[in-house]
Amino acid sequence: MWAYIIRRVLATIPVMAFVALFVFSLLYLAPGDPAAVIAGDQATPDDVERIRASLGLDRPYLVRFSEWVFRILQGDLGTSIFTNLPVGHMIAQRIEPTLSLMIVTLCLALSIAIPMGVVAAWKQGTWIDRAVMGFAVLGFSVPVFVVGYLLAYVFALELDWFPVQGYTPFAQGFFPWIENLVLPAVALGGVYIALIARITRATMLEVLQQDYIRTARAKGAGQSSILFLHALKNAAVPIVTVVGIGIALLIGGAVVTESVFAIPGLGRLTVDAILRRDYPVIQGVVLLFSFVYVLVNLGIDLLYTFLDPRIRY
Amino acid sequence: MSAVIIPAGLAIAQPMPDVLPPVKPRRGVLGFLRRYPTIAIGGGLLLAMLCIAVFAPFLWTKDPTSLAPALRTREPGAQFWFGSDMLGRDVYSRVLYGARVSLLVGFSVAFLASVIGLTIGLFSGFIRLADSIVMRVMDGMMSIPPILLAIALMALTRGSVQNVILAITIAEIPRVTRLVRGVVLSLREQPYVDAAVASGTGTVMIMWRHILPNTLAPLTVQATYICAAAMITEAILSFIGAGTPPIIPSWGNIMAEGRALWQVKPYIVFFPAVFLSITVLAVNLLGDGLRDAIDPRLAKKL
Repeated sequence: MWAYIIRRVLATIPVMAFVALFVFSLLYLAPGDPAAVIAGDQATPDDVERIRASLGLDRPYLVRFSEWVFRILQGDLGTSIFTNLPVGHMIAQRIEPTLSLMIVTLCLALSIAIPMGVVAAWKQGTWIDRAVMGFAVLGFSVPVFVVGYLLAYVFALELDWFPVQGYTPFAQGFFPWIENLVLPAVALGGVYIALIARITRATMLEVLQQDYIRTARAKGAGQSSILFLHALKNAAVPIVTVVGIGIALLIGGAVVTESVFAIPGLGRLTVDAILRRDYPVIQGVVLLFSFVYVLVNLGIDLLYTFLDPRIRY
Repeated sequence: MSAVIIPAGLAIAQPMPDVLPPVKPRRGVLGFLRRYPTIAIGGGLLLAMLCIAVFAPFLWTKDPTSLAPALRTREPGAQFWFGSDMLGRDVYSRVLYGARVSLLVGFSVAFLASVIGLTIGLFSGFIRLADSIVMRVMDGMMSIPPILLAIALMALTRGSVQNVILAITIAEIPRVTRLVRGVVLSLREQPYVDAAVASGTGTVMIMWRHILPNTLAPLTVQATYICAAAMITEAILSFIGAGTPPIIPSWGNIMAEGRALWQVKPYIVFFPAVFLSITVLAVNLLGDGLRDAIDPRLAKKL
């Protein structure tokens, strides 16, 4: 097992290296010359050249890349072109709303999607099953901002059950915090719920045909204990895999959801950075999200060895 | 045929009356569509949307870019069927013309990503040296969430429909490559491939004649899902201002423009949202139907 864990951890290094190279190239290829911007309008070409040399911008690509990686490893993500603040600092300020949104969405999605998938598999072919599968197709088809505006219109503007927009920090109490996150989480969770419900149903259908399920039924185990204890445990590996892969959907969706609900998180930061062409910020956010995504999936791969001890690589 | 001699005293069983009506084999296009209703519904909706996109100028539309500031933010009614936006442009015309951008992006990305992914996947599955390098690169690309990858690429270039197509295509290629490579790896162990190798068939010919045709079925299904994903991504990119330039009416752009007013004039966001959802739903239904029709076993893999 340890050999597997070490091999799996080492395997993330080339992936991370590729991501770093891609993100660095983004800034390298970005239009606009930072040296000319710093030099200002009055500068002569010689001045620009001197500033470029002092910033180290005249050195070869790979030299600059290695220096950049070195700075990242020390926690220095560069400085925003627009606000002149360190990118790491800007990200730290915006991380709480996004993290809250993701966690609430994840909890909500798992607690809805898994029972949905299990029941659909149990009642295979009935109207319940068809309703779940129909919902899954809808969840894949209706984009996150459409669900977002619809929910906001019905539940915030018309019914006035939830605030329309905004975010309240967790420090100001659990209730105000969660109140602002319910609608965004439902909107963001739609695709994710569809994805997980579908894989749960497919895996459960397979597991429910196994002999040991018949044995459990024969010895008199109750229906819910068969479904949720005997079967679901053995369906866990594919479900957990999809939960991990689906994080990419959550990250992409968060960018949009935060725009719809005016949540001041990392997604909002990304959108603002794009509109201003603030490349260091775009770079920092893409780097952060990708590393989180890689690490989550690494964690899930390592979880396999505990979920299914038969797995030996 | 000679007469059958029936021994005396033996009762002949009377033919049973038909309990069930004889099963008529369903043939032809209509029979196929009845067996796979999702293909009929999805394909029908998509065809309707395609007609709207192609014949937009003849469907009682006005110039989608013509401004009429005096007539801005009118509610839907006889003059403006879907209302007018804050610059007095006709939302109905803009939504109908918007179908062009969505369908163009969806189909182009599905086609380009399939062809490029298929080529890379075929070679990667066949050439071991290339495989390890290509798959590392693909793993790296897949570790960046697709929308972020498209956003990052769009940040480098000007907003234009071609660049949107290119950015989304690049973000979708790794998934196609993985799928094709997986199929190729399992196919190359098949006895008929060994037989082809033994009889002296060249590598290119084996790929073309024996491997490629077997990848087309799962690839077609995957392409429809990519088409749906690309239409959503295009709308998202345009919505956050990193996609199609604002001059071109696309559903994402119309929603982005209606965003500031959505609490008082929700219809500006509502109509493009409905059209986008219906179109994506149609493509997804088509994909699900094709998946079931082509290979029921795929239902679990995809």
